[in-house]
Amino acid sequence: MAKEKIKVDFRFREKLNKIQGGKHHNYCYQCSACVAVCPAARFTEEFNPRVILLKTLLGMEEALTGEDSPIWLCTNCYSCYERCPQDVRPIEVIIALKNMAVQRQKAPASLAKLSENIAQTGVSVTVTSAVSRRRQELGLPPLKTIPIDELKEILEDPQSVTKDDK
Amino acid sequence: MMPLKYPQMELAIRKTLPNLGVELVDVDGFTCCPDPIYFKARDKIKWLTIAARNLAIAEEMGLDVITMCSGCISTLKEAKYTLDEDPEAKAEVNRRLKKINKEYRGTAQINHAVVLIRDTLGLDVVKKSIKRPLDGVTVAIHYGCHILKPSQIMHVDDADYPSILDDFVAAMGATPLDHREKLLCCGKGCMDEELPLEMTETIFASIEESGADCMGLVCPTCFSSFDLGQILISRKKGKTYNIPVIYLFQLLGLAQGLEPEQVGLHTHRIKADKVLEKIKESAKA
Repeated sequence: MAKEKIKVDFRFREKLNKIQGGKHHNYCYQCSACVAVCPAARFTEEFNPRVILLKTLLGMEEALTGEDSPIWLCTNCYSCYERCPQDVRPIEVIIALKNMAVQRQKAPASLAKLSENIAQTGVSVTVTSAVSRRRQELGLPPLKTIPIDELKEILEDPQSVTKDDK
Repeated sequence: MMPLKYPQMELAIRKTLPNLGVELVDVDGFTCCPDPIYFKARDKIKWLTIAARNLAIAEEMGLDVITMCSGCISTLKEAKYTLDEDPEAKAEVNRRLKKINKEYRGTAQINHAVVLIRDTLGLDVVKKSIKRPLDGVTVAIHYGCHILKPSQIMHVDDADYPSILDDFVAAMGATPLDHREKLLCCGKGCMDEELPLEMTETIFASIEESGADCMGLVCPTCFSSFDLGQILISRKKGKTYNIPVIYLFQLLGLAQGLEPEQVGLHTHRIKADKVLEKIKESAKA
């Protein structure tokens, strides 16, 4: 039986190395300690942090940062970071992969909605009229004004998450 | 730093911490932490920049930052750890901050209020502030991931066998109850429809089995998973749990003799009537 050649896309790995947190993927030796403690892996076979790291080591860009990537199922619980004996910090590698998916405009549309407020208003959640009313009813002081201009300066370029995002 | 989504939590903090001798200072110019999940997924350097701006403001004032929220402490502590560890990231963040005449130096310390209470004030101060001990009230604690992990950054407790919240609840006179899924993630950070519900339901079943009167936590995001989450589960899966979810500073307020409305318990979707009755009865006895 002819052996299939394994191809590794090192250019993808070099790109990942340059994103904050991405470099640690190089330390993974596939021990699966992350899988044992991963709550997403416990509840679905679609998510497996060891497999994500294996695909990262192979440089499988489309599988990891394309539209059908499983990375968005990560619960962000940091159990893998806690347990990893190699200091891979799998969650941070996954976040670096998410940053790459955003750069390719392949992130889920819901991410745009969930992440746009902070850059626009300085707060992560929308301050709805219900929240304002409740603050009043509970006798809480009004919210302080946020210097949005400062935020815009330090964030520089506005960045879209998906093709449809403005 | 306060969780904005749930004003009742801010109310509970503002009512209870002064009873422990803490003076709260509202800082001008803070933005949200920002959130440790979605904005970070979008662009980690920008995420670090916003966090560093908040820390730079605290540094200028010579203040340490106290958060009331597991997400805020997670973001700020991780940002500090990353910026102190990675000179390239720090240089880029400070290049951006320079435009608004700010600089991140790394001098401010960050802690969650429960850590301040355990390490700086001491639990005896909590015990002395109690007017109505929560005798007989059993609390299933949900630690939530972000206050504990990664422990090399958070420095709060043993991530596998934590006790900080159990001890806090015990100091109020209540009884913390163990249950199988005490450390399971609430699932909120997972961008899927089904998975988070399966995870919260697993936790509810575990708490129901423990027979606890209520659930106690310190994370607003977990709160949303469990308070609103129970409504979603009864709607989607037809199972009603009816487990009141109480932010631990609300519980502290009750123990300090405040009325439920004074700590905003009436704003919760799952009403805490049974727990409140128990507290009233034990006060009579």
